[in-house]
Amino acid sequence: MNFDSRKYVFIVIFVLIGVLYASKLFYMQVVDDTWKLRAQQIAEKRREITPPRAVVFDRSGKKIVANKTYYNLMMVEKNIVDLDTIAFAKLIGWTVEEIRQRFIDIRKGEGKYYNKHTGKTSSNYQKIRAYPFLKELTAEEMVKIASHLEDFRGFYKEVTSMRDYPFANGANILGYLSEVYQEEINKDKFYKPGGRIGRSGIERFYEKEFRGTKGVKYIVTSAMNNTVGSWEDGRYDTTAVQAPAIKLGIDIALQAYGEKLLENKRGCIVAIEPSTGEILALVSSPNYDPNLLVGNRKIRKNYPKLLEDPDKPLFPRPLASAYMPGSTFKLLQALIGMQEGVITTESGFPCNKSVVGCHNHPSARNVTDAVKMSCNPYFYAVTRRIIQQGKKKVNYEDAEYGLGRWAKYMHSFGLGHRLGTDITGLTAGNIPDPAYYDKWYGHLQWKFSTIRSISIGQGEVQLTPLHLANVAAIMANRGWYITPHFVKGFGEEGPKEEYTIKHKTMVERRYFVPVVEGMRRVVYEPGGTARRAKVEGVIVCGKTGTIENYRRQLKLRNHSAFIAFAPMDNPKIAISVFIENAGGGGGTWAAPIASLMIEQYIYGKVEPSAKEKRILDAVLLKKER
Amino acid sequence: MRKNKSVIGNFDWPLFSCYILLLLMGIGTVYSVAYNPEHPSIFDLSEKYGKQIMWLGISLFLGLLVFLIDSDIYRKFSLPIYGFTLSLLVIVLFMPAVNGARAWLGIGSMGIQPAEFAKIGTAILLANYLSVANIKQQSRKTVLVANAIILVPMVLILLQPDAGTFVVFTAFLFVLYREGVSYDPLILPVLNAIPIKGIHFKKTWVGTHFVPILFVVLFLSITTLLLSNSTITLDFLGVELAGYWGVFFFLLVLSVVGYFFMRMIFSRRDRKRALTISIIAFLLSVTLTKGIDFGFQKLAGHQKERIELVLGLREDPNGDDYNRNRAMAAVGSGGLLGKGYRNATVSSVQTNHVPESETDFIFCPFAEEWGFAGSIILVFLYIFMILRIVIIAERQKSTFNRVYAYSVAMIIFYHFAINIGMNIEFSPVIGIPLPFFSYGGSSLMSFSMMMFILLKLDSQRKDVLN
Repeated sequence: MNFDSRKYVFIVIFVLIGVLYASKLFYMQVVDDTWKLRAQQIAEKRREITPPRAVVFDRSGKKIVANKTYYNLMMVEKNIVDLDTIAFAKLIGWTVEEIRQRFIDIRKGEGKYYNKHTGKTSSNYQKIRAYPFLKELTAEEMVKIASHLEDFRGFYKEVTSMRDYPFANGANILGYLSEVYQEEINKDKFYKPGGRIGRSGIERFYEKEFRGTKGVKYIVTSAMNNTVGSWEDGRYDTTAVQAPAIKLGIDIALQAYGEKLLENKRGCIVAIEPSTGEILALVSSPNYDPNLLVGNRKIRKNYPKLLEDPDKPLFPRPLASAYMPGSTFKLLQALIGMQEGVITTESGFPCNKSVVGCHNHPSARNVTDAVKMSCNPYFYAVTRRIIQQGKKKVNYEDAEYGLGRWAKYMHSFGLGHRLGTDITGLTAGNIPDPAYYDKWYGHLQWKFSTIRSISIGQGEVQLTPLHLANVAAIMANRGWYITPHFVKGFGEEGPKEEYTIKHKTMVERRYFVPVVEGMRRVVYEPGGTARRAKVEGVIVCGKTGTIENYRRQLKLRNHSAFIAFAPMDNPKIAISVFIENAGGGGGTWAAPIASLMIEQYIYGKVEPSAKEKRILDAVLLKKER
Repeated sequence: MRKNKSVIGNFDWPLFSCYILLLLMGIGTVYSVAYNPEHPSIFDLSEKYGKQIMWLGISLFLGLLVFLIDSDIYRKFSLPIYGFTLSLLVIVLFMPAVNGARAWLGIGSMGIQPAEFAKIGTAILLANYLSVANIKQQSRKTVLVANAIILVPMVLILLQPDAGTFVVFTAFLFVLYREGVSYDPLILPVLNAIPIKGIHFKKTWVGTHFVPILFVVLFLSITTLLLSNSTITLDFLGVELAGYWGVFFFLLVLSVVGYFFMRMIFSRRDRKRALTISIIAFLLSVTLTKGIDFGFQKLAGHQKERIELVLGLREDPNGDDYNRNRAMAAVGSGGLLGKGYRNATVSSVQTNHVPESETDFIFCPFAEEWGFAGSIILVFLYIFMILRIVIIAERQKSTFNRVYAYSVAMIIFYHFAINIGMNIEFSPVIGIPLPFFSYGGSSLMSFSMMMFILLKLDSQRKDVLN
């Protein structure tokens, strides 16, 4: 029998398989893109490179926020061979037990995932992946370890960059960075787990301006996740671009001096350049060294301590703490009174202590003297005229009209709402308006006598030291202000547009003249309340504030407040100083502190003096425990 | 002198060229995959490419020896040769295991794998047995002895264990089919034991075509399991074929292709039968696959999972990824023209995403670097080579030569189909080398010897009578 025709069975099989394989190959390689994407997932990794954050300079060009190189000690478990735990423990200064625990913690920290196919839960941890064993080592710490690393296979060093603050000042302005939260990662693709984000201060406000542009590098990786080479010779790679340096209006020397002056005191100083609205210094005391909150290691160690400190060093008082402004507020009452036409420059009111207490001084015969002597009955009378202008028949309606006018004036001074300063943590303070009292007393249920304490800056009026400094700047500018701000430029560019706009108050320039003259007399004439505020060679205009305060019916020591600007003509600096529970009056502590600050700013240094020594030696911070 | 002239005059250059071409492409790919910048020379013996060239030299030397030796000795000494390779297979079982298998004879990387050479021994003895004068294709003795010749080395190889080579030995069954060995002597007694009045089978269709039917059934079963578990998307038609419909579509295409192919090769007389054959084949295979699909779906979860795991349908639950997925990514990402020589990203040895990318998975780097253009050339070369061997086989006067040639064709075909198939989801992942292409001395030497013996037998085909 001949079976030759069976050769066709073979030929059919061979040709069929050949055609089938060719078709499938055509489909896989040419038609279907699935496998190209899969290959990219497997071997071609997209690595994002985060540039170092923008550095920060002060107004004189000193670098106040820099970046410093740190090291992570990385570990790939699969590459570890016969780890001599004892020697390794000795090298990094840990106990053997701590090292074992660290391995367990890394594994646990990666979490678990649930496999739908198998119904098994397994760890995300992979032995072939690199994990940081020790994070954020300084160069000095790394040097000690690095030279011995070759004895410990599976460990290697990796470079990272973190913040460094050469001046250790202005922590509440600069803010700090911390690791991003999951919600932030979800919201913005820029962030990846383990990345850092501005958590407070200008670092938070200007996050986008600080972070720069990420670079992308496409690399070919091995099954062990190690880099093998660049992909397509880096044709699609982009470089990371650091954001341009940020220039602040802060004078770091002034800031540092202010912080020194406020040591052992609870309070704030805010200094502004009136002509530009640039904040020269913003001191919050007690404060902290910003270097304490660099990197997870230090944050974990120091943050809880700072948070639990009863003096609240993390709290940015000048921005977030609203105080009654006390007598500093009288300047505004005088201005509004004149603008509204309810008083003139030459209006005099007797110092009638039966309506409101006052210190002993002759009755003021004009606005200027009233400011100089800070006469309570005088401003009580002025405010009464503003509130009760007699334009409505019913007293209550009249008060509603008057307070409405008054509140509008106050708002035009930037008070009663958050100043648009470029920082987080601002507070609006409070300027009571008719709606406010309606809520308390009911509609048409209140009149001036009900709300009279606002006339001398007590009661419901609440301003932050930043507001007060802005008032000082308005006085210096005789009627306008630029929103106080920190950043005066990004690289070659100037500040944001909103920080170039002049805001005019509702009070005309001419009415400022007698008030400013009163402020001069506060410092320079007998009977003025702040004779200690004099600065050699310049004319300082100021106004004191003494704020009585009570807690649970118990009278506490007065707050001492002072606002000032200097020189009188062509002012360079406007300042507010607020010392909590200092005792005495505004002239006792706040005024000399302000004068020292002015001296420091104008002359760049302060001659040692009894005045300075008195302030530096003073311990006004009473531990409450 | 006369003899020598006839040897050269009858030498089959097309087959030899094909062999050389594949060898060169193979070495080029090994050089690309295993390239070590510290040892850039392709002749560096400390690197895999250098060793492969050394193996190539040895192989060509062996080929020369084969040509110097008279081809009669294979026939004369077929039993000793077979016995020798079997004894090696026995000895290897007492060697220390490498990667869980006792497959290596010798030391380290310089060892050889006796299983590779057992193929030659088996082919020669099988050829000798089937070429004995007055062999009866219908006798029980023939079918038993022929199967035993194949089965003994298979059992020894399974003991190593080496599942890949074990599967490859079933290639010899097709050779039995070509020679007309009928399985009726084994089937008829069973069939006739069923007492049905008046019916006594003398010959069955199944017994006559036992091997192809067995493999068609196996092939369809695996295809069913593979296709019914996945969804085929036909973009150009905008249709998604889920589950069994994928199988159905596959069979339909196969039948239509088969029909036209039969029309092409059948003689005019038989052409009318082509339609009948393809319709019957289609109906039968639909019945079969539907049955398999139904049975498979009825299986308990864990049994199903086991089968899926064996077929590589399911991700290895312990692994991050599985080899086939990586291999397919490498092949698929090659695109039309490939990523360029030495530019493989997924399957290079440095990245190591595809394991064994210089041996069992060598098609990956080749397809990744040369794309579809390279892949189609490679597929064409192998099919051409196999068909060329069939042509050579069919022109032999002697049965011995024909059986041997068919053995070679089938073994190369098996290696080709499984090795490339596992990269493109057409075959389970079975670790066997790609002939002439994969790195490895044993496989290169055994395939070369196989090829040279064939060339030698063919060149002397006119000297032989039976």
